[in-house]
Amino acid sequence: MLLINLVWLVPLFPLVGFLINGLGRNVLPKGVIGFIGSLSILLSFIVSIGIFTELNASDIKSFYIPLFDWIHTAAVKVPFAFQIDPLSSIMLLIVTGIGFLIHVYSIGYMKLDNGFGKYFSYLNLFIFFMLLLILGSNYVVMFIGWEGVGLCSYLLIGFWFTNPSFATAAKKAFVMNRIGDLGFLIAIFIIFATFGSVEFGDVFMQAAKMESGNTTLLWITMLLFVGAIGKSAQIPLFTWLPDAMAGPTPVSALIHAATMVTGGVYMIIRSNILFTLSPVTLHLVAVIGIITAILAAAIAVSQTDIKKVLAYSTVSQLGYMFLGLGVGAYTGALFHVITHAFFKALLFLCAGSVIHAMSNEQDMRKMGGLKKKLPITFVTMMAGTLAISGIPPFSGFFSKDEILAHAYEQSPLLWVIGVITALLTSFYMFRMLYLTFYKGFRGTQEQEHHLHESPATMTIPLVILAILAVFGGLIGIPEVFGGHHWLAGFLAPIFEHPGLVIVAETPMNHSTELILMAVSVGGAIIAALYAYSRYVKGSHIPAVDGSSRDLLSKLSYNKFYVDEVYEFIIGRPLNALSSFFYKIIDKGAIDGFVNGLGKATSEGSKVLRLLQSGNVGFYIFMMITGIVALLVYGFYNI
Amino acid sequence: MSALITITILALLLLYLGLFKAKKALLPVALIGLMVALVLSLMEWDSNAAPIFSNMMLYDRFAVAFSGITIFLTILIIALSKDYFERISSNVAEYYALILFSLAGIILMVSYHNLSMLFIGIEIMSVSLYILAGIKKRDFASNEAALKYFLMGAFSTGILLFGVTLIYGASGSFDLEGIKQYILKDPTAVSPLLYTGITLLIVGLSFKVGAAPFHFWVPDVYEGSPSLISAYMSTVVKVAGFAAFLRLIMFSFAPLQDFWIPMIIGMSVLSLLIGNVTAVYQQHFKRMLAYSSISHVGYMLFAIIALNGSSDNAVFVYAAAYSVATIIAFGVLILLQGQVGNDSFDSFNGLARKNPFLALTLTIAMLSLAGIPLTAGFIGKFMMFSKALSSYHIFLVVFAALNAMIGIFYYFKVIVAMYFKEEDRKELIVPVYFKLVLGFSALVTIALGVYPDFIASLI
Repeated sequence: MLLINLVWLVPLFPLVGFLINGLGRNVLPKGVIGFIGSLSILLSFIVSIGIFTELNASDIKSFYIPLFDWIHTAAVKVPFAFQIDPLSSIMLLIVTGIGFLIHVYSIGYMKLDNGFGKYFSYLNLFIFFMLLLILGSNYVVMFIGWEGVGLCSYLLIGFWFTNPSFATAAKKAFVMNRIGDLGFLIAIFIIFATFGSVEFGDVFMQAAKMESGNTTLLWITMLLFVGAIGKSAQIPLFTWLPDAMAGPTPVSALIHAATMVTGGVYMIIRSNILFTLSPVTLHLVAVIGIITAILAAAIAVSQTDIKKVLAYSTVSQLGYMFLGLGVGAYTGALFHVITHAFFKALLFLCAGSVIHAMSNEQDMRKMGGLKKKLPITFVTMMAGTLAISGIPPFSGFFSKDEILAHAYEQSPLLWVIGVITALLTSFYMFRMLYLTFYKGFRGTQEQEHHLHESPATMTIPLVILAILAVFGGLIGIPEVFGGHHWLAGFLAPIFEHPGLVIVAETPMNHSTELILMAVSVGGAIIAALYAYSRYVKGSHIPAVDGSSRDLLSKLSYNKFYVDEVYEFIIGRPLNALSSFFYKIIDKGAIDGFVNGLGKATSEGSKVLRLLQSGNVGFYIFMMITGIVALLVYGFYNI
Repeated sequence: MSALITITILALLLLYLGLFKAKKALLPVALIGLMVALVLSLMEWDSNAAPIFSNMMLYDRFAVAFSGITIFLTILIIALSKDYFERISSNVAEYYALILFSLAGIILMVSYHNLSMLFIGIEIMSVSLYILAGIKKRDFASNEAALKYFLMGAFSTGILLFGVTLIYGASGSFDLEGIKQYILKDPTAVSPLLYTGITLLIVGLSFKVGAAPFHFWVPDVYEGSPSLISAYMSTVVKVAGFAAFLRLIMFSFAPLQDFWIPMIIGMSVLSLLIGNVTAVYQQHFKRMLAYSSISHVGYMLFAIIALNGSSDNAVFVYAAAYSVATIIAFGVLILLQGQVGNDSFDSFNGLARKNPFLALTLTIAMLSLAGIPLTAGFIGKFMMFSKALSSYHIFLVVFAALNAMIGIFYYFKVIVAMYFKEEDRKELIVPVYFKLVLGFSALVTIALGVYPDFIASLI
């Protein structure tokens, strides 16, 4: 188990990369920075592959690697330790693998940016924290990673902070995340108070002995879920993610699609025993998930900014994952995390390639006809679109249908909404594809003149990701197609707890399953065809801003006014309260008191200084007064 | 003991050097001699501490530590005196000699084992200081300072001597051990004479350290004396006074603490209040320093209020922190007075731009005096407050903390003037001796603040 014991190398490489690039950001040439940044992740990836292979070959499926005692007091002991099991080893591969591709892509994408060194150091730091989040063997180490990725996300969203609206977006993401983080933190406190430990092993072993529906578990899981809602952009805290598109596009691909935002899903899968013993929370997870999925999809259909479409699509897909978690399909949820990481990273990078070619234009109304000019981008994006729309045999089909099948078993209503979401997904994705790549060019002449396919550092990652997006589903072929779902078998150990083994509900009747699949796939294809007739045949172009719309379209275009509602019910009252405290309590009462003290002191100073008259006779008189006072005191106290 | 002998001989030697017009040699000889004395005194560390000279003196760890720090501080101050005395007087050798004579008295004050030695030590020190305060012969303020100091000093010496007499009358002994044995024999039947004697001794020593209400001489004398002498008085002399005070109380009067603790608390509260509040209104840096020194006496008295085995340690750390920062402040003050001729707060305006080094060291000193973390002053205050808390003087600590807040106001006035007020000014010329002393003191201040253990566990 050589490499498993060397697991600390995995986060170490990015940390070293961060330090070198961070310290040398103004000194090192861009080539060196890009090389170091990518190499550090590549090394981590290689070690991760080794770990994965060792674990796959091993009979023991869970390794505990302590590094050092971090907090060590009589009451609290928190070791800095890592845990290697099927779940963390798969996540390692995703984060380092996709992370590496995106680093390489960034070399080309950020080539002309002045903050090149800063960018790569942040990106490396992000990977470091993400790895801590995944590897930590207790909730506290996980929380460090959790906070760290939040910080890096903030730094990278606001990477072009001279633009005030970008800086605001970064702030928004940070504040929204903090709400979730607070929930997570309180959950950790309750976990510690209940189990006397924050180590996964200790907590889960004790939890397995508790009864289902235990109130403490309900509180813990609810608060953990609040944390997940913040990090994974679910209702009601999802509004930060679309705004997070202010960051450079590779960042959106890495942090806001493939890795960080799936942190909440990872955390719930990790805590599967706690959630399974809390059916109420699970129901809530499913409901929040499905509502988020359909709401975000409904917004995505009328967005015109290419990255905004993808952002809402990410929110929507995350909703699917939570639906999967909520119906107990933990494996299905992780499966979707994996395939989504492939195709969504791919889609964002394709969008990046388009934006790059269009001289930073993100409005799809000004694109069109790029098929010829950007052939590689077009083909790879087509692959991504097919994957996310759930067209077999592309990867998204397998993972999405696994979740939908489990949802159907729980409640057909969940399934129906899920399928409608799938239709919408297919529609807005093909709409995006057609608007961007088909028909004639709608931008300015200058933009047309500059159109070019991206350099190899950008297209090679696209191709690799496209291959993964196409074939990634093969790791989980369901039995109905004669597969044996390798992923489910591999992950099984993390659902085995002493005295309690969690299994997803028994597979349903194969013919039902096939019918369900046929409905959702058929729907997706029809939606794609409708998009074709509307945007290619009908040459429809989305209306300009401010034109009149019917009600539904208006709601969708304006994102259901969620931001405005938040502003109205939270922002304004909070501001009013804040201004009350500022003007009345702080300025009036507190400042009045404090300044009053200050005034009193300086007035006192004016009076006291008069004692110092300069007259020796007076001084001696005062001294004698003092002596007499002391003697009188002494006389009464002997 | 060799330190005392070295210093006395050194002082005589300097007088001779003056006689033979070897003015250039004065400063190096004084510095080298003091360093020798410092080393000699530190070498007596851990010597088996039995009273010597017929029980007159006891050169124990306490005495070694405090003679060490006073000699060390004197070295720093004398290093600042380069060209200073020449400017204000023609009798330069006498200057050095007088400072060293007073230092000899101070060594007696920190190592006495007999009240007569305490009295002799105080007198040797004081008489030298009376002259030093008035050494600017043609300067009216200097003369006034000397006369005031002498008048009130004589008065307080009388009180002190009266106290010694009463104690002798009650216990039949001048010896610290003898007095202690008398008290311990039957603490309930101690003669009222002794209580009165203790009260008067406390008054006398409070005068020497400048605790309210016996502080009236402090602002006038500090302001009128030459700045270098003020620096000496507010650091070395004050530390010595505290050492003598603490030694007396720890050795002999500890069993009667119920009697004298309330007195000390009263003086501590008064010193804090008068020192801090009056400092707020001051417009001149030097006078502000005088009041701030009164307030620091208030903090240092905490160690006596919460008397136990580690009081000497706390006073030692506090005194070291306070003195080093004060030396920086006076160092900058001397440069400013010499080259600008004014020490109002306005004269610091814009100093940071022209003299960044001076501004930085002075800022460190002010932060330390204000008790901001990562400086020695914080550690000193921390030790004092935690001592007082350990003996449950909670209200006293709250009061002191409020006063520390007031302190921040007037210490920061200087920093604000240096960094945030713009003014066209000439760059001050900083001689190399000043650079060394200021830089070194600033380093010590930070080092003590970051890693206090290296001196905190010394005694």
